[in-house]
Amino acid sequence: MKPLKIKIVSFKKGVHPRDDGKSLSRSSAIRTAPLLERYQVIVGQNIGLPPRVVVKAGEEVKKGQLLAEPSGFVSAALHSPTSGKIEGIIDIPGPMGIPAEAISILADGKDEWGELPPPLDWQTVSGETLKARIQECGIVGMGGAAFPSHVKLSPPPEKKVDCMIINGAECEPYLTADHRVMLEETEKVLLGAAILGKAAGVKNTVVAIEVNKADAIEALLARSGEYRVGVVGMKVQYPQGAEKQLIYAVTGRKVPTGGLPADVGCIVQNVGTAVAVADAVTGGVPLIERVTTITGEPVVTPGNWRLKVGTPVVEALKLAGGVKRDPGKLILGGPMMGFAQRSTDVPVMKNTSGILLLDKAAISQYQASPCIRCGRCVDGCAMQLLPSPLSCMIEADRFQDAYENNVMDCIECGSCSFACPARRPIVQQIRRAKAEIRNSLNHKKK
Amino acid sequence: MGSTIFLSAVVLIGIGLILGAAIGVVYKFFEVPVDPRVELLLELLPGVNCGGCGRAGCADFARALIGGEAAPAKCPVASQEVVAQLAQVLGVEIGRAAKQVAVILCGGDLTHAKGQMLYNGVDDCISASQVAGGPKGCRYGCLGMGSCARACPFEAIGIVNGLAVVHNEYCVGCGKCVDVCPRGLVKLVPVDAKVHIYCKSPEKAPAKMKVCDIPCIGCRKCVKAADEGQFTVNGFLVEVNYGDYPRPDVIEKAKCPKNCLQTCRGHEEFEYGKSIGESA
Amino acid sequence: MAQESLVNLLELTVGAMLVYNFVLARFLGICPFLGVSKKLDTALGMSAAVVFVMTLASLLTALIDVYLLSRSFVIGGVDIRLNFLQTLVFIAVIAALVQMLEVLLQKFSPALYRALGIYLPLITTNCAVLGVATLNAGSGRNVWESVVFAFFSSLGFGLALVIFSSLRERLELSAVPRPFQGMAIALITAGILAMAFVGFSGLC
Repeated sequence: MKPLKIKIVSFKKGVHPRDDGKSLSRSSAIRTAPLLERYQVIVGQNIGLPPRVVVKAGEEVKKGQLLAEPSGFVSAALHSPTSGKIEGIIDIPGPMGIPAEAISILADGKDEWGELPPPLDWQTVSGETLKARIQECGIVGMGGAAFPSHVKLSPPPEKKVDCMIINGAECEPYLTADHRVMLEETEKVLLGAAILGKAAGVKNTVVAIEVNKADAIEALLARSGEYRVGVVGMKVQYPQGAEKQLIYAVTGRKVPTGGLPADVGCIVQNVGTAVAVADAVTGGVPLIERVTTITGEPVVTPGNWRLKVGTPVVEALKLAGGVKRDPGKLILGGPMMGFAQRSTDVPVMKNTSGILLLDKAAISQYQASPCIRCGRCVDGCAMQLLPSPLSCMIEADRFQDAYENNVMDCIECGSCSFACPARRPIVQQIRRAKAEIRNSLNHKKK
Repeated sequence: MGSTIFLSAVVLIGIGLILGAAIGVVYKFFEVPVDPRVELLLELLPGVNCGGCGRAGCADFARALIGGEAAPAKCPVASQEVVAQLAQVLGVEIGRAAKQVAVILCGGDLTHAKGQMLYNGVDDCISASQVAGGPKGCRYGCLGMGSCARACPFEAIGIVNGLAVVHNEYCVGCGKCVDVCPRGLVKLVPVDAKVHIYCKSPEKAPAKMKVCDIPCIGCRKCVKAADEGQFTVNGFLVEVNYGDYPRPDVIEKAKCPKNCLQTCRGHEEFEYGKSIGESA
Repeated sequence: MAQESLVNLLELTVGAMLVYNFVLARFLGICPFLGVSKKLDTALGMSAAVVFVMTLASLLTALIDVYLLSRSFVIGGVDIRLNFLQTLVFIAVIAALVQMLEVLLQKFSPALYRALGIYLPLITTNCAVLGVATLNAGSGRNVWESVVFAFFSSLGFGLALVIFSSLRERLELSAVPRPFQGMAIALITAGILAMAFVGFSGLC
């Protein structure tokens, strides 16, 4: 591979899995899934308030028609993935193991578009108009958090934002959806980046990519001049794409404890979000489908698929040819930060970046043993915390000590658990401590 | 010899007098008055510093008692006699003192509640509930990881077959377990209320029956068998009204089809002091 | 002469703190060493209280010893020394001193009183305080030397207490086998710590 003529940056520490599993699906071009009979769109997909459902059972809807309207500022609209009839609003298995309210749509097979908002000329309209369009089209952060994008673009006025970072790190092992998007929809990524920059009113917009995606970097570099968007390469290191790490790598700024990117003048958006924004602004297309990697060793033909929001995971797996052998675990998202599922009836959501099956051998159940103080978790911690003492403190129920040692700053990236040779469930313990500390803080307030 | 004894006596008496006088002077001029009742109360109080009264330990509670900020009956650990003695020291009325005990409103042990996944993680209820809703199928039921048992300062909670069970004789009703349960299943009830509905799932009856053999399905047989107002119906869930609780004979009369209306149970299998922390 | 006084000073300071550490070499004051070493905060409070009381008590007892008990009185042609009263008098003096201190502290520095409150009465029965007084008396130090010796001895006590409580705080985070939990592992740790302090022997 010839060396890239590009600046390569990184955050400090972190881990890197030797075999990141990306080769399974890296070279598979994005394919569009055929129309299914039924879609189940979960209502509460975004962080913040769930939107208010505006359709009733038995109603006919068109593709792209509004299903649920935002119920507040931190809320995103929801649109129909296809044309058909609303079967009802039912409880289905949700991605967090808790049943979730979903709108079930029986497709009529025509896949007819409804009325869409008119295209906007992004260079002439105001930032407010762009933000309104982004909210109207139900766009949320597609990297995983599902935070409504228009909220991110509207930082409080006292915080000067000067940098828009488009996150193309895709540091999670196995996932290649963002990689393929950047390669195949280079222009839309750059257009979306430029629109996002304009909407937030910032001068510098950069796309940051890990250097294991050299072809994507070259493709973006070739066109980036037209859109006045920069391209930055990043070292292949997990969690390079985590918000705070990404900001540090690209700008050298550190987000303060408990702070937001806007505190250091940055906004981070995913490349998938940029593409959705480009579609929404230039075509009025709402966010009803996304590119998802269906992968894992047990999958017959791993690949990247354009799936409609609401596609049940079991149908998505059929697209990929089903499974070769009984898998041990189903994960939505990446292996490091994704969520293990207990049912294949879970539908694809706006933030489902991957559907991952892992072999039984790969997830064999370990018994945790005492900390041997090797310090590998400390070397791996992207937030410069001390995971080993924290985990011991939490094991001894000493949450106050954990709190004083900044346990609340943990981003739960999983590097410590990954690095631990004693197989200690450090992240799970930290999540417990956070819950306990939040409980006791709430208690004090009462 | 005689003069040695004489001299040492003089010296010791002298030193004793000087020291005594010094202490006397210091106490006379610098003493900060302390209410002697604090000591008295502290002797009476249990001294386990459980915090069940809402104060930071027994000493703090004693000061609050003297300040009139707390009633003697607020100490959940003290027996009736002790409360009476406390009140006597303070010279006040006893105040309402209904002894309470904790009850865990779930009957879903490993035999009755269906599991939904293999959980291999931190042995703690909050941690388990964060992973896809916990190992049991019912997302309102007892997780059986024993967070309440570890929180109990009196080792009055044990885990029997994957279900937390309270031992009434040892429970003092301090309420520490109420806060730690991520499912909110622990309730403090009057000690004389012997009948409980061991279910707290607000789900619809068919959904509950899918994941559990003994849920409350809201059939209301118990409501009909009891006096008016002894049960409250809340959707698919019937709850005991602990202000006016039914008598144990209601179980015989009601013939609960799912057997979730029961008296305090599980104690025959429960060994005192054998909390899960020790068996692990 | 200068050399001798330097050696003397070294013995008084470094010797008292490290070589003849009250807890780890002389095994005095073991009760508070084990009792209040669970948390570093309380250990620091106890150390401060001990430094305070020990220095003050040794000043008083040294004064009494040098000017009263070690002097020879000639009564009716008989030379009388009252050395045998040392233990009795020292205990009385220390107890009275702590009592007065408690009251004075409560009056003038309630904050310090609350911080030391529980430990002050404990010190009354602390053998380290009596130990330093009898050691001073036995070695024939003058008042000034006695106070310096007591001050550095109590610093040594504090050092041992702080080290030990830090160790115990760390121990609480480790998976100790059940039979060793609590005081058992604490005593083993204390033993190892004492062995480590043997390394200072021969320093002066």
